[in-house]
Amino acid sequence: MKARKVRGLDPDGPVAENAARIVAVRLDELVSFTPRVFDPAEVEALHDMRIAAKRLRYVLEVTGDLFGPYANVARKRARELQDLLGEIHDCDVLEPRVLRLIDELREEDVAAVEAGGEPVHAGDYRGLELLVVRTRARRRELFRRFLDFWTRLERDAFQARLTYAISERPVPA
Amino acid sequence: MARAAAVRLTPDMTFAQAAVLAVGVRAREVWEHGEDVLDTSDIERVHAMRVATRRLRAVLEIFAPCFDRDRHRAVLREVKALADALGERRDPDVQLENLEGVEGVDAFRARLRAEQQAGNEALAAALRHAEDIDLRGQLEALVAEARA
Repeated sequence: MKARKVRGLDPDGPVAENAARIVAVRLDELVSFTPRVFDPAEVEALHDMRIAAKRLRYVLEVTGDLFGPYANVARKRARELQDLLGEIHDCDVLEPRVLRLIDELREEDVAAVEAGGEPVHAGDYRGLELLVVRTRARRRELFRRFLDFWTRLERDAFQARLTYAISERPVPA
Repeated sequence: MARAAAVRLTPDMTFAQAAVLAVGVRAREVWEHGEDVLDTSDIERVHAMRVATRRLRAVLEIFAPCFDRDRHRAVLREVKALADALGERRDPDVQLENLEGVEGVDAFRARLRAEQQAGNEALAAALRHAEDIDLRGQLEALVAEARA
């Protein structure tokens, strides 16, 4: 997913002003995947949201201290979200791979039987099918956790608080 | 995995000054994690270098307007290529780790081991390439030019 362009950046301007513009765009990008991501079948949107969370996390990792205290809380939340969506993505990659492998083994066995031999992969199917079952169950559980996590973020006014935090400039101690 | 080194930006810095500091810190981190990454018996090494490379890529993208466009584009392309090679090795590492203790999946495990080996070869080539083109020197030059 290509990152949205951030307009108005000025290399000679204060770092906090420039960074605030970037965070605002990255935050907007992240939130833009709702409500699509509330549908578990929206695999691509979930994947893109993970990338958006990663981009927000990395910009806050470098610039978070220039803003109000919630910026660093938001950095942690973005990381948690990225990790959770990353695990969902791993399941989305794993299941079709295992299913493809089962198909390949089955085709090899069909060819072997056709040629008058015995299936050579008979011992593989059960374990691979169980892996698909476990992966699918885990994906459902992770998706439920994602919905809970996002609901908590919304309840905690994540977007509004981060937007406010990037307008704050802490006074140096 | 090692935590990211702090990039101590201060409010009195310009965006360009912050770029010099952030890219300098993140570039150093990549090479600090570069030792023994081809050792498949310790998969955390490649993970640490991959994350460091992602962080470098992120700051290069964040601070893009502070650098010479052509030089920046060339360096970013090389950093992305290195990150891709690290990812090619990392993906089977993780999947193999997730299969630890799972029975009846030897056929899949064998395939992942082959991918891990191929990923390691691709990574070795990418590291040689980064060395050949002096990616580290190119990053230093990019930073030096922005500082000037």
